[in-house]
This record gives sequence, C-alpha cells and structure tokens, in this order.
Amino acid sequence: MKEKQKQNQNQNQSLFKSIISLITYKKTKIPPSFTLTESYEESGQEQDNSEQSGSDQGEKEKDEQNSSSKSRRRATKKPLSPSALKSSRVDSDAVKKDIDSNKKILEQQFHLPINKDLIIREFSIGNKQRGFIAYIDGMADKGIINDFILRPLFDEIDDESSSDQQLNSLEDIILTNDTKNLRKVTTTVTEILKGNTALYVDGLDYFITCETIGYNTRGVEAPKTEGIVKGPQEGFSENLRTNISLIRRIVRNKDLITEFHEIGEKSNTTCAVVYLNGVVNPAVVQEVQRRLKNIKTDFLVSSGMLEQLIEDNPYSIVPTILSTERPDRTASHLVEGRVAIIVDGSPFAMIVPVSMHALMHSPEDAALKWQYATSIRFIRFVAVLAASMLPALYIALTTFHREMIPTDLLIAIAKAKENVPFPTLVEILLMELGFELIREAGLRVPGIVGNTLGIIGALILGEAAVSANIVSPILIIIVAITGLSNFAIPNYNLAFGVRLTRFYFIAAGALLGFYGISLALVAYVLMLVNLKSFGVPFISIISPRTKGSRDIIIKWPIWMQEYRPDYLNSPDRRRQPKISRQWAEQDSSDT
Amino acid sequence: MEKLKKIIAFMTICMLCLGLPGCYDAIEIDEEVYALSIGVDKGINNAIRVTFQYATYMEDGGGGMGGGDEESGEVGGTIVSTVEAASLLEAINVMNAAVNRQVSLMHAKMLIFSEEFAREGVGRYIEPLSRFREVRELMRIVVCNGKAQDFIKENKSLIGSNPSKALELMFEQSKNTGYFPDMIFGDFYVDLLTPYGQPVAAYAGVNDFKQLDEGEENEKPPLKPEVDIEPGDIPRTGGTKKEIFGLAVFDGDRMVGTLSQNETRFFLMGIGEFQRGFFTFVDENEPELIYVIEAQLARKPSINARMANGVPIIGLELDINIDIISIQSRRHYEQLNNIEGFEKNLATYFEQGLKKTIDKTQKEYNADIFHFGKKVAGNFNTIQELDDYNWIGHYQEAIVNVSVSVNARRSGFIYGATPIRSTESKKGVEEQK
Amino acid sequence: MIKEGRFGFMEAFSIMAIVLVTKIFYGSPMAIIKYLGTAAWYGTLISCVGALIFFTLLYLLMKRFPQQDLFQIFETVTGKLIGKSLILIFAVFLLYKAGINITEFTAVLKVYSMPFTPPSMIILPFLIVVAAMAYVGLEGIVRTAHIFFYLVFGSLILILLLAIPSYDFNYLQPVLGYGLAKTIETGIIRTAAYDEIVFLAIIIRSLQGLQVFRKVGYLTLILGGLTFSVCLICILAAFQYTVGGEHLSGMYQLSRVIYFTRFFQRIESIFLFVWVISSVITVAFIFYISLNAYSRVFNISNHRPLILPFTFLTFMFAFIPNNFAQIMEIHLRVLREFSSVIFIFIPVMVLLLALIRGKKEVKTSGKA
Repeated sequence: MKEKQKQNQNQNQSLFKSIISLITYKKTKIPPSFTLTESYEESGQEQDNSEQSGSDQGEKEKDEQNSSSKSRRRATKKPLSPSALKSSRVDSDAVKKDIDSNKKILEQQFHLPINKDLIIREFSIGNKQRGFIAYIDGMADKGIINDFILRPLFDEIDDESSSDQQLNSLEDIILTNDTKNLRKVTTTVTEILKGNTALYVDGLDYFITCETIGYNTRGVEAPKTEGIVKGPQEGFSENLRTNISLIRRIVRNKDLITEFHEIGEKSNTTCAVVYLNGVVNPAVVQEVQRRLKNIKTDFLVSSGMLEQLIEDNPYSIVPTILSTERPDRTASHLVEGRVAIIVDGSPFAMIVPVSMHALMHSPEDAALKWQYATSIRFIRFVAVLAASMLPALYIALTTFHREMIPTDLLIAIAKAKENVPFPTLVEILLMELGFELIREAGLRVPGIVGNTLGIIGALILGEAAVSANIVSPILIIIVAITGLSNFAIPNYNLAFGVRLTRFYFIAAGALLGFYGISLALVAYVLMLVNLKSFGVPFISIISPRTKGSRDIIIKWPIWMQEYRPDYLNSPDRRRQPKISRQWAEQDSSDT
Repeated sequence: MEKLKKIIAFMTICMLCLGLPGCYDAIEIDEEVYALSIGVDKGINNAIRVTFQYATYMEDGGGGMGGGDEESGEVGGTIVSTVEAASLLEAINVMNAAVNRQVSLMHAKMLIFSEEFAREGVGRYIEPLSRFREVRELMRIVVCNGKAQDFIKENKSLIGSNPSKALELMFEQSKNTGYFPDMIFGDFYVDLLTPYGQPVAAYAGVNDFKQLDEGEENEKPPLKPEVDIEPGDIPRTGGTKKEIFGLAVFDGDRMVGTLSQNETRFFLMGIGEFQRGFFTFVDENEPELIYVIEAQLARKPSINARMANGVPIIGLELDINIDIISIQSRRHYEQLNNIEGFEKNLATYFEQGLKKTIDKTQKEYNADIFHFGKKVAGNFNTIQELDDYNWIGHYQEAIVNVSVSVNARRSGFIYGATPIRSTESKKGVEEQK
Repeated sequence: MIKEGRFGFMEAFSIMAIVLVTKIFYGSPMAIIKYLGTAAWYGTLISCVGALIFFTLLYLLMKRFPQQDLFQIFETVTGKLIGKSLILIFAVFLLYKAGINITEFTAVLKVYSMPFTPPSMIILPFLIVVAAMAYVGLEGIVRTAHIFFYLVFGSLILILLLAIPSYDFNYLQPVLGYGLAKTIETGIIRTAAYDEIVFLAIIIRSLQGLQVFRKVGYLTLILGGLTFSVCLICILAAFQYTVGGEHLSGMYQLSRVIYFTRFFQRIESIFLFVWVISSVITVAFIFYISLNAYSRVFNISNHRPLILPFTFLTFMFAFIPNNFAQIMEIHLRVLREFSSVIFIFIPVMVLLLALIRGKKEVKTSGKA
C-alpha cells in the first residue's frame, strides 16, 4: 500500500513537474540569422565606380566576418567535405607505390568482380614498367582513350629509348587536354566517376587522371517552361559544362568565377557556384559556400532538391529562390550582383538572393519596350491576386456581402443557383478539385493528347456540371479565371505557392467573409515580410524601403536603370552612367 | 528560421479556430429573397400594411408578361405580397413565414408611401429603416397618391424580364425629363433632421388609361403648352400603368402638398439638379405655332442670403443654356439680330416660373424645399443662434429674388431655316425679309 | 533587452500614421461632431496643434537623453522604483486600450457587417493575428504596416473622392458651431486623440536617430490632423451636423452613399478591408508596446512567453463593456479624453523633473 502511495506520489510529482514545466518560462535560444548588412553608406552611391570598388574592399572583409556566424541546422562539428568523410572509412587514403596494391584498392573501391562498369586495362611500358588505366564504361570517351592516351603510351613503348625519363614526363606523352596528378585514392575515384580516366604506372605515388569525359547528353534546346517570343531561345541542358559555357558566352568577363562543390555522399553531384566577382557582394558568396559545404546528404539529383536544402525558410509557402532554365536570364541576374547555383544533371540555375518582384518578372520583359513590359507586368500582378483571392472573394461576396453585388447580377446568380443542391463553398471546392485533377492528369497523359484532353476535359466537365445542376455557371467562370491566372504567373514555384494560398483564403472567406479574408491577408503579409532570401528581405522593395531600382513593377526605360538593386549591396553600385544614350547629347556638328 | 515555423503554426491554429464559429453570418444567395420595392399603406386591423415586391428565381422571368396570377400576386418576374403588421420590420418577419425564405431589404430600390399615410407623418416608420443595416441609403423615396399597394402591383417591366433594372431606370428618367426628383433615402433622412430646409419625395400615381378621351376628334385641338397634370392623369395608354410625376412637399415628416411636374422642373433648377428637358412655347408671332427648346443648367445656381432687419433676403441666380429643337414657324430666332429678344423672353419665363414655384412653397406650404437655409445659416455664427432663429419657421417671411440669364447656344442641325415652299409660300419669304 | 530591429523613416511614419488615423473609422467622428457641430473640422485641428506642442516637449525630453528611450528616461529621472511603476501604469493602460479598441471594432463590425456572429468569435481570430504580429516583433509589425499604409490611405482618399457628389459645403455653416469657447475647450481636451504619438518615444531606439524621431513625429501629427479634418469636413458636408452626430461610423456611412452608376453602388464592404487591416495593425502595435513595457518592468529578456497570458488579458478587457453605451460614454471617453493624464501628463512631468533636478545623460557618445 505504502509503495503504491509512494508511486502515486511520485507519479503525481512527475505529473506536477511536467505541468509546471509546461507553464514555466524557459529561455528559448533564437539562432542568429544571416542578414545582408549595408555595406556602405547610401550617400556613397554617387561616387565613381572605380573608386568605390577600391574603398569598399576593406569594409567587405568585415562583412564576411559578420555574416559567417549562423546556420540553419547548427553544425557543431568542423565541416568535412564528402571526400574527406570517405577517407575515414578507407584505411589509408594515400596512393601506394606499387601497382598491385593500387589496382587492388581500385578494384575494392568499385567492387570490381561484381561491378562491370569499371574497366581496368593493364599494359607495360617498355616491358619493364607495368601500368594500367581505369575508366568507367560509358562515361568516358573511348576514342580519346584509344587515340590520345593508349596510342602515345604504346608509341613510347615502341621507342624503348630512355625509360627513366619517360616517367617524369608522362604528362607530356599523354595528349588529353587536362591531366592531374592525384595522390589520394578518393579524389581519383571521384575523377573516375566523373568519366575521366586514371592512369597509373608502377613506381609512382600518384594517379594521373586525364580528361576523357564523354557521355551522351541532350543538346541545347529551347527552354521548356520559360518560352518567350522575343529574345534568345536557348535553354540549359543537363550538362554542367555546357550550361556554364552558355552563361560565359553571354557574360564574357574575366571576373566571372565558377566554383565547384560536390554534394551527396552517394551521388557525388557537382554543383557550380557562378558569380561575377567585383559585382556580387562577397558576403552572399560566402553564405552560399557555407550552406553548400555544410549539406550532409547522400543523394542529390536535381536543383529542386538542392533548393530545399539551402533555402532560408523551408516552411515558407512562397519560394525564396528563383530557378530558371534560361542562360540569358541567369546572366542578367549575375550581372546585377546575384549568385547562380547550377547542379550537374539539372537544366536549371538557381539564383540567390531574390526578392518577390524577381519572381514576377518574365525573361521577356528585358527584351520588350518598357511600356509593353510594364503593362504585361500589371497583368501578372492582377493574375497573382486573382489566382490567390478570386474564389475567396466570390464566396465571401455571395455568402456574406450580398448587398455589394448589383441587383441584376444577384438575381441572375440566384436563378442559376436555385437548383444547385450544394452550398457555394462545396461548389467551389468541387470545381477547384476538378480543375486540379485535370491539371495533374494532363501531365501524365502522353504527348500531344495531354493538352487536348485537358481542354476538352475542362470544357466537358464544366458544361456537364452546369447542366446537371451541380455547380452554377458563374462559378465555372470564377474557377476558369483563377486557373488561367495561375498559369499567367511566370514562376513555376510561385504558381504552386499561389495555388495553395488560394485554399487558405477560401477557408478564411468562407468562415468570416471579408473580415476573415482581411485577417488572413494581414497574417499572410506578416509571413512575407519575415521571409528572407539569403539574408535579403523577400519583399525588400516595398518594405524595408530601399533606394529604388527602376525595374520592379513599373519597368522604366532601360537607359534610366542606372543602379543595381540596392538590397543586394553590390560593391559596384552603378550600372551605367547617368546618360547612357550619349548619342542623344551630341551636337550634330560633332559628327 | 524558427520564427517562421511558428508563424506558420500560428496561422494553422488561426485556421482551426476560425473553424469554430461556423458561419453565423453566411447565407447563401438563394436562401433569401430580395425585396425590390416596399410599399407602406395605412392598415385596417393593424398599424400599417406593408407591400413587398421581390424577384422570383424562375427561369425566363416567371409568370410571363403582364398577365400574372391574381392569387399569388405574380407580376412580371416578381411577386407582390402585402402583410399587415405593427411595424415595418416586423412585417418582414411575418413575410418570412409566408415566403419560406428570408426577406432581405439589401436590394430594396424603392420605398413608397401612400399619400394618406404621408400626410400623417412618415418619421415613425422611416426611423427604424435608418438604423437597420440592410437598408440601402440609395433606396428611392416615393409618395403615391393612391394606395402604395396598387402602385407596386403595377410596377412591372414590360420591356425586359429584369425587374430591378426597370426600377432603377425608371428613376434615371428624372435626369432626362426633370418631371420628378430622384430622391434617395439617405438624403431624405438627412432632410428630415436638418435645420436648413425641408424634404421632398417623388410623387406617383397609377393611371387607369381612361384619360385619353375617346370622343369625337376635335376639328382644332387646343394648344396647351403648360398643363399641370397629377400623376395618374397623364393622357396616355399602353405600357405600365404606374407613373411618377411631380413631387410631394414635406414639412418635417408630414406631407403638406405637391408640386406639379412643371413646378418640379423649376424646383430642380433651383437646387441645381435639373439635367435636361424639353420646353414647349407658343410662338409670340404666330400664336397657333410653337417652338421647342431643350434647356440645361449652365452651372449650379448661385444662391446668396443676407439678413436685413431680421428678414432674410435671398438672391437666386440661374444660368441656363438652351438648344433650339424646333421652330414651327421657321423664323430665324437663332440669328444674331433676333437672339437677344428671344433669350429675354425665355429668361422671363423661367424667372416667373421659379418665382411662382417659390411663392407656392412659401405661401402655401411654408416649406423650404429649396434649402435656402444652408445659405441663410452663413449669417449666423453659432448653431445656437441658428436654432433660436428657427429658419424653417421663418421661411415664408424671406424675400427671394430670382434672376435668370438664358443663352441660346445652338440650334440643332439647322441654322437659318429656309421656309417651306408651296403655292402660297411667297408670302412667307417676303415676311422674313 | 528585447531585440527590436531597426527600421527607416517610412516604416515608422506608416505605423504612426495608421495608429493615429484608425480612430476615424469608428465612433470618433460621431463624438466630435456631437460636441462641436459644424466646428468639428477645425476643433480637431486645435487638438492637433495641442499634440504638436506636446510632441515638442517630448522631443525636448528625448533630446536631453539622446541614447535612451522614454521608459529608460523614466527610470533615469525618477529613480528605479517610481520609474518602473510608471512603466507598469503604461503597460496596464495600453493593454486596456488594446482591449477597448477591439471592443469598439467588434461593436461596429457587428452592427454593419456581421450581426449574427458572436463577439467572441469576432475577437478570437482578431486576437490570434494580433498575437502572431506581436510574436514576430516590432520589425514585422512595422513592415506590415508599411505595406498596408498605401492601401489604407489610398482607400481613405478613394472613399472621400467617390462620395463627392453628395457633398454640399454650405452645410459647414454656421461656422462657429456651438461657439468658439466650446470648440477650443473640447479641442484641447481631445488632444488626447493624438496622444498615441508618445509611442514613437518608446520605440525610438529602433529609429535612426533623433532627427528621424522629430521628422516622423511632426509629419504624422500633421498628416493625422489633416486626415481627421478632411474626413470631418466630408462627413459634415454629406450628412450635416445633425445626422453626422448620430452615425456610428461616419466614414462607413459615407462609403454607403457612393453611387456612380447602376453597377457601381453600395461598395462599402470593400472598405471593410481597410477597417480591419488598420485596426489589426493598430491593436497589434499597442499590444506589443504593452508587452514591451511589462517585460521592461520585470527585466524579462524575451517577450514571447508573455504573449499568451497577455492575449488572454486583452480578451478579458475586451469584454468589460456590457453594451455600446458603455463603450461610447465611458471607455472611449477615457481613451480619447482622459488618456492624456497618462500619455501626456506623465512625460511632461518627467521633463519638468529632469529640468528641475538638472538630470542629463551622463555619457555623451558620438552618435546623435
């Protein structure tokens, strides 16, 4: 009995404790967040470019120190590169000095008897020194291996003159354009995995890797999701090198820097960080590097996956990273002072940091006259509003604020609804569901049939639903406009966000009418103002207020856009002199 | 960002909590019927008798044209039903039982009182409406010289199947003719309480189509350019039987009299709301012929008021632009040498018309429907002084000077008409010279 | 101390302008028209001038202690105990103010738009959003305010413009209303309607210096005064002083008379957005400052754990008035007329005390 009582007491105590712990005040630790600080006084912007870049350098350094303090997932350990991580498992990472053990190591690494992909071809140079090359079948270009690695080697063998010298100048014999001497097995393995060929000659303590990458890739084609009428028609492909060359062809600048990072313990995917040195704020580059280096994952295949790993706010409903498949768009962002991240095998470049309006721009805007571009942008903003709020407004209007609807229309709606058994909310949800189904199904239905099916499906479904008195015809219009508006949003991710937002507003509108919608709107905006994209407030143009770039909603004439966006804090603020159209200032007598 | 995660959590909680209230105020459109017009008559067994007209939701406008079913009160796409109750809003509740749907006043376009009722005072019944959230400020106020119920029964649209459009367009006609004021409920209510003037309402009636004499055709029908007609007495046939013509003058909330359609025009000119309208005049030079002009106000009338020995002296200046529409005699009134005299004639006409109308409101009704009070108020410093003076009571003592200037701006397509030629026409041509 | 972030001129201007002007949507015009009749429109300007004088005094006080905010000054000047109790008075009164603001909002919303929804169900979602805003902190509130600033003032101007056909400015006569003496007296008493400007001194450390403080203060007061005056002129011109003095919400009523064509009429519900948004922002701001004050008193470094209990307290405050008469005749009078005892009298007394005792900030470091 006593024990029981004691137990009870204990239980009570622990219960009591846990209750107390629920209501007592605990200090929460708020992790510091990365914020892109002002790099120099605003007044400095009138300075000349050359002066600025010099004087800012010092302050930049400080920035970098400030900024490197935070992480989303607090990494306590010293960051390790994936290759280094691997080395802890292998006994010794160093390349052995004899051919047999080296071969054995490679065979072990690639599980050779089982794995059929690695080809190891042995040979001996001048009958004395044995050697081998190793490459992965299908990843390496066999023509290159035959003609420019093996043939020169065998030619040397035939020569049989001075064998000692040969060894020193092995690089000179091999005719491939890029060779590396690698003293570590892991790096060699990585190189082989990329499609390069490793060469080993007995007695060396390093592998020589020769660039022989040659596998089949898709060529450069027109972009699939960002098609435009006016402007270049090239899109990224899956090949990282090709993609970077596409950018480099547009930005022919020695300061364009490409850094490689390898992410994914199992997949070893190469990611390139591209930026224009001197234009980009170094703090941003550092932050990108820091995030990329501190990703611990085993598999990475697309930029979409990387996006989720590096974005500031994984819980945010709107994307804070812009992905594009257009080299020209990437290039224009690079020149504005942003950083592009490209993942090998993914035809998209991710651009950071971005703010709301960048997601609303279409690549075509740059090529259009400013009047046209501006008017199209207004349409897009209307589209965002319609796509996110129209059904909610309709539902609030028809169930809460009927006095606002013009009487004629009201009676027409009432007539149409007279035989419909569902409340408006159910009607809307039914139609939205139907529409989303058509959208999703349209993706699966093969080829050309897909589009047609989508249209016909929508038409028939709508028509049938109306004549079966399941929904009222006005609702079909509402849902159709909403769907159309959604497609008018230029960014795929943002469009997704808006699709979800719509249901949030529908719920608010159905429950409390305009009152609910306005509360929901405040909460939504509250979320938006707290978003950051790589340290830059997401809606930075409106709040916090920054000095205007002239390409936000209204696109001013291109010769008026003299500064890069202020929120990027580029060391090179000025884009072009005050007067770009200098010919217009010239006297006719000058010419 | 932990912060954001929590915001999202908050938003989710927010959504969940929003789920709790259900939707107290959510009413589907088709769960209500929308009263388009409300009529108030004196009751027999209870205080008032309220008539509602509301649209039906049948396809193609319900019971068809005109016909309708006496029993169910179907009138061209709408239903008219009458109920007796103690108060207006209670009548709505009584109606709910009968209609099986909630009667909503959100879209009421017209509030109509019978004259009998209006003469006893409408304040008591207007008051709840001004508090009630559903009632539109933009509802029109009409007084009917018969029973409001009869008027609403005749309130149907013959042209289209859209009763609400017909109602709204009916009041738009005030702009085209100036025969009745387009008085909205909000203004009417303000005018009831104001110390600056008195309210008016449109005056309406039901025509039984018996005014067109079917007798023998007159050899020479008399020419009557200015007859004052009561609503319901317009000599016409065809169309709907309802008509709005003239206005009802109120003193406070009690109706004290009416102005005829022509006086209404002068009234609207006086308050600056006259838009346009045709006027017919007998040609001074050829009494059997007429000319027609279209008048428009050039600008808002300017009113000034001053006090002289405790008597308010009010000056009303009007500036009227006219277009000549027709000169039957084809005389060249629009030409430079004639135009001055022509304009002067018209100015005197308008001046006298206005003066007569103002006189009528002063002498007969002592009701400042022109709102001269807003200018008189300028002579007082404080509201107490104004209240002590009590302008509304002193209106009849005021001296009102009216001056009108007329500008004949245009003469239609024709300038300097050529006379009609016939075998006798030579005489006419000579006369012109 | 609580990390509040920093923001610029426009953000501070927006939040102060919204907080000052939100009153116009509710019973405020009715009360002032009832007191002053046709003189209401310049009566409020007198109040505005009074507020400007007060703000100048406040500025003088802040200038003496350029590194401190108002609460710190309280402690420096009056000593720890009195200073802290003064701050506590602020905290409690602000919470009360937030609660009564919500009640007023609910009462008007219920009358005009949602007659059948129980008040608790209107208040609850409202408070949830307010709590979320307080959770995010000052920077979030202020940025949200800045985004909605354009919407709120744009719509306000739109209402005034669209209602033009119903104006007749002759109804502003007689010019002196119920007499000049009464106008001036009421005007001075109702300086309290502008006393929210004192909040600016509380958040001063988030501003970029004293100069911005002064600029924001004067500009918002002038903007608030003009907005009030113009709105009152429009209400008087449309409804005269008789009806204007009985409308629960003059601005809402004004939006009800908008009529342009058969299609474009009765659009008042659209303005519901403005009503709600500006009220949410105002209450959230007041609520946050109350939280802030409370955590200052007890040296709590994080205001977030306080949000839940404070939300509950606000909810309770919101249910103090039993009926609309109590809101109008007791609580709103306390807020709009007698709040000056706290918001104006205390800071001025502190300034006097500082002058008498010759207290000044000891360390004068570089930043002004």
